[in-house]
Amino acid sequence: MRHLIPLALFALSPSFAFAQRDAKIPDPDPELERKTFQVAPGFEVTLWASDPLLAKPIQMNFDPQGRLWVASSEVYPQIKPGEKADDKIIILEDTKGAGKADKTTVFADGLLIPTGLEPGDGGVYVANSTELVHLSASKPGGKADRRKVLLSGFGTEDTHHIIHTFRWGPDCRLYFNQSIYIHSHIETPNGVKRLNAGGIWRFNPDKTELDVFCRGWINSWGHAFDRYGQSLVTDGAGGEGINHAIPGGYYLTSQGPHAQRVLHGLNPGSPKYCGLEIVSGRHFPADWQGDLITNDFRGHRVCRFKLQDDGSTFASREMTEVIKSDHPAFRPIDVKMGPDGALYIADWYNPIIQHGEVDFRDPRRDKTHGRIWRVTAKGRDLVKKPKLVDATIPELLKQLKSPEQWTRQQAKRVLKERGAEKVLPELGEWAKGLDGLDDHARLEAAWVRIAFGETAPAYDFRQIHDPGVRAAAIRNHAANLPPAQGTDQATQRCYVLAEVACVQGVTDPNPRVRLEAIRGLSRLRFPSAAEAALRALDKPMDRVLDYALWLTVRELEPYWLPEFQAGKLDFGGDAKKIAFALNAVGNRGTVKPVVALIDGGKVPKENLHGLYLLLAQIGGADELVKVLAYAGGDAGVTAAQRTELAQAAEDAIRTRKVPAPKQVPGLPSLLSDASGARRSAMRIAGLWKVQDQGRLLLGVVEDAKSTTEDRRAALDGLVAMGGPSMELALAGADDKKNPAARRDCIIAYTGVKLDYAALKAAEFLPDAKPDDELLDLFAAFTTRKGGATQLAKALALKNNKLPPDVAKIGLKAVRASGQPADDLAAALTKAGDLGAVKKPPTADEVKALAADALATGNAARGELIYRRKELQCLACHAYAGAGGQVGPDLTSIGASAQADYLVDSLLLPSKAIKENFDVTRVVTADDKVIQGIRLREADGLLVLRTAEDKEVAIPLKDIAERSKSTKSLMPEGLTDQLTKQEFADLVRYLSELGKVGGPFAPSKARVVRRWQVIDPTPTNLNLFRRTRVSAAAELDNPFTWAPAYSKVSGDLPLAELPKFTVWADTAPQSVIRFQLDVTTAGAAKLKFSSVAGLSMYVGNAPVEPKPETVLDLKSGVQTVTILVDRSKRTEDVRIELDDVEKSPARVSVVGGK
Amino acid sequence: MLLSTVFAAALVGAGPTSKPFEFKDGDRVVWLGSTLVEREQRYGYWETALVAANADKNITLRNLGWSGDTVRGEARASFDFNKPDAGFTLLVKQALKLKPTVIFISYGTNEAFEGKEGLPKFEKGLEKLLDALKPANARVVLFSPVGFEELPRFPFAKERNEALRPYREVVHSIAQKRGCCYAPLGELIALEALRARDVKPPYQLTDNGMHLTEAGYLGTVDAFRASLGLYPRRDEELGTLRKAIIAKNELFFHRWRPQNETYLFGFRKHEQGNNAKEVEVEFDPLVEKADEEVAKIRKGLK
Repeated sequence: MRHLIPLALFALSPSFAFAQRDAKIPDPDPELERKTFQVAPGFEVTLWASDPLLAKPIQMNFDPQGRLWVASSEVYPQIKPGEKADDKIIILEDTKGAGKADKTTVFADGLLIPTGLEPGDGGVYVANSTELVHLSASKPGGKADRRKVLLSGFGTEDTHHIIHTFRWGPDCRLYFNQSIYIHSHIETPNGVKRLNAGGIWRFNPDKTELDVFCRGWINSWGHAFDRYGQSLVTDGAGGEGINHAIPGGYYLTSQGPHAQRVLHGLNPGSPKYCGLEIVSGRHFPADWQGDLITNDFRGHRVCRFKLQDDGSTFASREMTEVIKSDHPAFRPIDVKMGPDGALYIADWYNPIIQHGEVDFRDPRRDKTHGRIWRVTAKGRDLVKKPKLVDATIPELLKQLKSPEQWTRQQAKRVLKERGAEKVLPELGEWAKGLDGLDDHARLEAAWVRIAFGETAPAYDFRQIHDPGVRAAAIRNHAANLPPAQGTDQATQRCYVLAEVACVQGVTDPNPRVRLEAIRGLSRLRFPSAAEAALRALDKPMDRVLDYALWLTVRELEPYWLPEFQAGKLDFGGDAKKIAFALNAVGNRGTVKPVVALIDGGKVPKENLHGLYLLLAQIGGADELVKVLAYAGGDAGVTAAQRTELAQAAEDAIRTRKVPAPKQVPGLPSLLSDASGARRSAMRIAGLWKVQDQGRLLLGVVEDAKSTTEDRRAALDGLVAMGGPSMELALAGADDKKNPAARRDCIIAYTGVKLDYAALKAAEFLPDAKPDDELLDLFAAFTTRKGGATQLAKALALKNNKLPPDVAKIGLKAVRASGQPADDLAAALTKAGDLGAVKKPPTADEVKALAADALATGNAARGELIYRRKELQCLACHAYAGAGGQVGPDLTSIGASAQADYLVDSLLLPSKAIKENFDVTRVVTADDKVIQGIRLREADGLLVLRTAEDKEVAIPLKDIAERSKSTKSLMPEGLTDQLTKQEFADLVRYLSELGKVGGPFAPSKARVVRRWQVIDPTPTNLNLFRRTRVSAAAELDNPFTWAPAYSKVSGDLPLAELPKFTVWADTAPQSVIRFQLDVTTAGAAKLKFSSVAGLSMYVGNAPVEPKPETVLDLKSGVQTVTILVDRSKRTEDVRIELDDVEKSPARVSVVGGK
Repeated sequence: MLLSTVFAAALVGAGPTSKPFEFKDGDRVVWLGSTLVEREQRYGYWETALVAANADKNITLRNLGWSGDTVRGEARASFDFNKPDAGFTLLVKQALKLKPTVIFISYGTNEAFEGKEGLPKFEKGLEKLLDALKPANARVVLFSPVGFEELPRFPFAKERNEALRPYREVVHSIAQKRGCCYAPLGELIALEALRARDVKPPYQLTDNGMHLTEAGYLGTVDAFRASLGLYPRRDEELGTLRKAIIAKNELFFHRWRPQNETYLFGFRKHEQGNNAKEVEVEFDPLVEKADEEVAKIRKGLK
């Protein structure tokens, strides 16, 4: 007997709940905290500074004297009325050289939540809410008494998104970030710069020159430059690990004119990371050089990543943590290399993080503590703190060759502050005397010139041996062009040098050089720049190069497209280049050249599909006919491509209202196609009112063997077509012999006559089968304006009893719609004789449930509950990147969220919604209500991700109403059916996720977590009988695959897998598959927990599985299919990807849904 | 620092509408504009001069300047930046909510980056703004847009000032047409910038050719006063008044542009909206008290 949880009935004693809450505040003794640290072998951690020397550090940076500047805020998250903002900038010093700070100086106070700082130019640059200010002291060594406002107009919509992450770049420009909720409008002498979401700014304080360096991310609190000036970025709220940021690039959640395509991070499925530093210098061992250090502040870990070149970008791999801890207040949030070559970590020290989910005034927020930890390598000498501020110019120039990046960077800062007149002559001499092979020192010299606003030297690129330096040299020219393309000689020289550098670089043997050249060309606003960029296609491309070229060609569109249309520019007549360029801009004005290109017959085969797809997106009726004829008639088109083309044609007709042509010769063959193309073809037949096909569509509706999807597509087509065929089809709403068709006909009716549909539904529901597909019937009403009310009226009118399970499905639809429908909820409750609607839990009940989970919950049992299909957790939430994408990834939720927050999230999903998971609600012109998470908005389309994890594109002109919903996409009541113990187990499981030291701690192992399996549906079984089981490994195979996900341990539970026997007396089998993303080809290996009963295919080639199977992988996404002989295996399947020594391969496991 | 001759020349040049603007006892001035206006609130020199020149009247001022803003309220739209009229609607709402009797409008510099093509848009936008503000039934002062200071590091200033000229003319002609006060602030500051180069020691009004520094606001107090036809006072008496005005401005800033808007009033208010009352209820009395403090000091000036 299962007990449902009557929340009010088992409230625990308040004292217990209170004790739980208090237990969260740990003993603040730093030594107790330090003892919880598990440190990487060979390293040790000491306390460098602690409260009361500092409190609540937010960002830190060293100055050239080796003093540590810290921005700290006790006002965060929100100033109280009448409270005087008194946040501080402090300077910490180790005056005795004892490896411990012994002096603290308040340099500035009276600030409001300073979220970033960078010392320089006789003071410090500070993020002060809406402004970027420079603070300085009129007396040397004194407190700041001068404040210059340098920039103003930064948004403050969220105090942990306001400008932050201040960095001097290697070019001595100030880089700083803003996050997703921030909308900034900054006046500069070169115009107003606007950035309406996250991104990184690049600022030259000398001239108030400000530009967006790149866009995106949710909350990017980490940015580091490698020794060549390449940018690496981490996101404190996104889950893609290390990002390689390229100039002008768009990343996750970008806003801007080219936001429809973004670049992704290098470690999808990561927890959130804050801060970023690159290891450099003699104190660290050789195998740490160039590694990245960042902080999993939720999981109490300081993490290390190794970067390797991977084509034009990098591959990034997590290594053993620098520190991991289970101390609830250890919050590493910033990390910096220090003047002694050690690593310094700022610990915000707080049991509560963020401020959206937890009350601003929650007493558990710590306001007084903070630590700086120092990590040193045991038995290795520290670096002697370099003499910089008192050094002569030749001494400083010498430091540009220091092995420590810290020293090189600080030396440049000191040189910059000495002034151009003193430095430039000596710099020139010094550079002349450099060894011809010392490319890197010359790069540093170029950066010093850039720092002074000078043009980088004109290089002969063939003389630079180090490709990293060639790449940087191109950027130095392209990124520092004068804002206005004036006619004076100096300006013109800048443009010529940039053009020469980019044109040389675009066909460089090294892909990263090509990347810089492609992006650099986007700054040269003339037609031939696009022509030069497209020359990159003559060399091997990779994903990032493809993106960079796409972006450059789009940004240059105003310059090249008119010339191209006028016939003055033809990209050498190279069909591949023309195809790329036209595809990139996707502009309606390019229909003619696209058609000409296709008709010319010279397009390489691999580009043809893309061109037809483009034609579907931009073309009119004649072009759509051409696309459909190609899709339906060309033998070279795969089923997936056919589906995509037909879908694109359907979308075009729907969203652009492309009128019907006279004839559609491709349609009949598509209507009899076995792929998804058929469904689009049926809808197209309707949208274009091809009455001749009405009979065929009607047949599909009436055929009892039709799949639901086919039947619904046919009905969609018939409703769009109207006329007698529609009338005949909709009569099926009364067909008692075919309940599935009856249900779908009623659904179709909602789009024709809503009140009649409601009556038909009220007649049908008493006999309806309470299956998943019935949900769609209810949803057809709840997602239509006024639909819920009509159905409630009809139910009351007919006054029939409903089976309770049917009524419950109806309530589920009401909840999922996220809109109030009290009338329908009441009607369903009455008709189904259901108990009263559950009241939301009180705060005390939530606390009691949280306490109960921690006291009695069992996480292992909780994981199995979490995996139950009916709870739908896996369908929406990913773990380590594998799983649905509708809700936040839960990899480290337990380490960051309090148990009461988890209970709240399960019972009241809308109480606190994670940023970037807020819901946009749209009502279309035809009264359909669509809700989802806004993915992007571009090209006149709004793209939402719905609760079903589908991307829906809505033409902006079809939107009648649009609002932000305060409801989460997560429906309420998901856990209603759980017993009290089950609920406790589930909460306990979630609260353990990401906790260091436990069985659910984050793992660095590259385990296969996202699988696809074949369900034994009649269609799939028939296909097996017609072919063979191994046909599942064929490319373009006709099976339908369902998702499956590993447990946190990586095991894919065999017991949960569907099994089937193809013929009587044969062994039961399961078929599973996963994908590997190979960005650089080579050998990699798979490690199996055991291989009993497994046979394996990579692509369609059989490979014998061994406990360690070495694969020789080609680049691209490779599918590994595994047949499981269930008579020979009972053990779960776990597969881990690993490197093969000396192999160049760069491989990752594909995650996602 | 009296510059009566140059100012007189400028005022004559600015036409007949530039007669002194008359403030009345009890006036509530609402000031709209971009960075120029926004930054004034933290230095307070101009506002102090205005209050001191009308020491016999109770005038309260609310600075609604917002960096990067235009007559279309572009900088104010926050999450609604994609909705064409969202910023404008907010701009008007923010102004009307304060029940102004006088509205200062100071736009044009940002719009002028769009050059000749942007001019009709600016003209229409300013007309639309004035229409939308009519329900306030307030007296309107149109400040002419401030241009760029010609400094060696910013050779483009000349060109930018050329582009700005027709924008100033639009403001002037709209002021004439509608019979509202035209305050030639841009012209007067340009004169002051020229003068600053010639005084000993020479100084600059801006660091970047565009934005007045603290010294720039101080140096243009006379220009500001003259643009409204106000009588000067000796500045050294006004330190306490200025301090009180800055304190009032800071409180008001936290009231009308609070941080964390997303959580307090925006689409995540269901999370922290309970804390919004802090801003809505508790700030207003504090701002009023600060107004009283300003008034007390002002009365002492007489």
